[in-house]
Amino acid sequence: MSNAEQTIKGKVKKHIPKDWLCEFRIAYRIIKEVINDLKRTGIVNIFIITTMAAILTIFAALFRTTLSLSEFASQLGNVLEISVYLKNGTDVNTVGQRIKAVDNVVKVKLITKEESWNDLKHQIQMPDISNPLPDTLRVKVNKPENIKAVLDTIKTFSGVEDISYAEELAKKIQILTHIANITMLVVIITVAFLTITIINNTIQLVIQSRKDEIEIMRLMGVSNWYIKTPLVLQGAFYGFTAALIAVIPLKIVNNLLLNVHNFFLVPSPAMAENIVVTSLLLVGILFGAGGSFFSIKKYLQV
Amino acid sequence: MIQLRAVTKKYKNNYALKNINLDIVSGEFVFVTGASGAGKSTLMKMLYKEETPSSGTVLIGGINIANLPPEKVPNLRRCMGIVFQDYKLLNNQTVYDNIAYVIRTLGISSKEVNARVTGALKVVGLLDKIKAKPTELSGGEQQRVSIARAIVNGPPLLIADEPTGNLDPKNSMEVMQILDQINQRGITVIVSTHDSSLVNYFRKRVITLDNGEIIRDIQAGTYE
Repeated sequence: MSNAEQTIKGKVKKHIPKDWLCEFRIAYRIIKEVINDLKRTGIVNIFIITTMAAILTIFAALFRTTLSLSEFASQLGNVLEISVYLKNGTDVNTVGQRIKAVDNVVKVKLITKEESWNDLKHQIQMPDISNPLPDTLRVKVNKPENIKAVLDTIKTFSGVEDISYAEELAKKIQILTHIANITMLVVIITVAFLTITIINNTIQLVIQSRKDEIEIMRLMGVSNWYIKTPLVLQGAFYGFTAALIAVIPLKIVNNLLLNVHNFFLVPSPAMAENIVVTSLLLVGILFGAGGSFFSIKKYLQV
Repeated sequence: MIQLRAVTKKYKNNYALKNINLDIVSGEFVFVTGASGAGKSTLMKMLYKEETPSSGTVLIGGINIANLPPEKVPNLRRCMGIVFQDYKLLNNQTVYDNIAYVIRTLGISSKEVNARVTGALKVVGLLDKIKAKPTELSGGEQQRVSIARAIVNGPPLLIADEPTGNLDPKNSMEVMQILDQINQRGITVIVSTHDSSLVNYFRKRVITLDNGEIIRDIQAGTYE
């Protein structure tokens, strides 16, 4: 085999590792390509970023509102308790231990019949009769939606006379949480769809305008990833910039919600703003780059 | 260097190439001739894997490129220089940038890029046009830039598909002389053409295609 043949065999088959300086130069070239592409896209960049920023603002505002709604639901859920009334002569400790062992039970508190009677006597004038009240166990459940299951289990325990809880309130909280979660899911899907559609059309335009250049690059042996990466980064750039812009209206929404929390004396969810800003940037970058990636796969045969 | 074994290319019911068997050794200069539609371009495209054979094997440097995975195709193309009839230059970039484009993507230092580009431009005699845009050059000069781009990465093989198709006789002769000089440096050169005067002048190996079949393969041949 001649030297020329060996050269070809070596270069085609083997992966030749590059040093860090070489990788750095390639990264620099790719960034330059992205800047050139953005320059070529011109004023259209502004339309793309503005539209994406509007979409991401809706996402951020709804996400932040959902966090607040969840916090309200959680605070209401905290006041929900199951009251378990025990039969006379029942060993309260044994029943209490059994209830503690039930899944999703967070806390069990004993209110003796004497405590209940004294409380009642404090609240209303009572005639001097013997105590008719039973021993009560106040059971706290981790989530409102688990109350029904815990209730059904406790009902079967011996020594349990009766059970009560604020059923209507629990149902409303459950519905509220459910609506918040569904809204968030719909918003994320809509945002993904709109972002990907916008990026898809943009990258399609970029590819069309650079069709000849990409064809030449391909024929000259420029790597596929070198052709694709600047386009993916361009999509990511749009998403990132739009997300940064969307942070401004998010601040306004956040302040409004803080006022609502203060009015109802419900604490604002911890780190809510940071969580939403981080999600916003991640969604912007990921959907921007993702939209671009799918568009390349669709329109660029390399 | 290149071996084609029983290569056939079929588009629906038409054969572009039929049972081609061919050997080209390292350092050869080969003219591929034939009338329009004879299969010259299909054969050339097969060598840089722009086309894949319907059957048969295409060995380049001992590698069957018919089975080469798509991610390895750029590696193959960087091992060869390709020259096209329509030059395929980037009109918004200078001569320097056109030639440097591919080697820059490999992470080569600016100093090395500069040395290679000026070296390639010296070979084609266009050092004074280094800052010009392709639109400011004549057809012959553009094709010479295209040749400089093809040799800048030091390939062992150069494929030129109708490189003089858009040129007048004077420029055609100049381009062909450059390709001949490149061949004399040990690079295998394959040129498809239907310019009989050039083929007759240079007296190299001539492979003639007709209806997708090799009908003639002569050392130091003429166009006929």
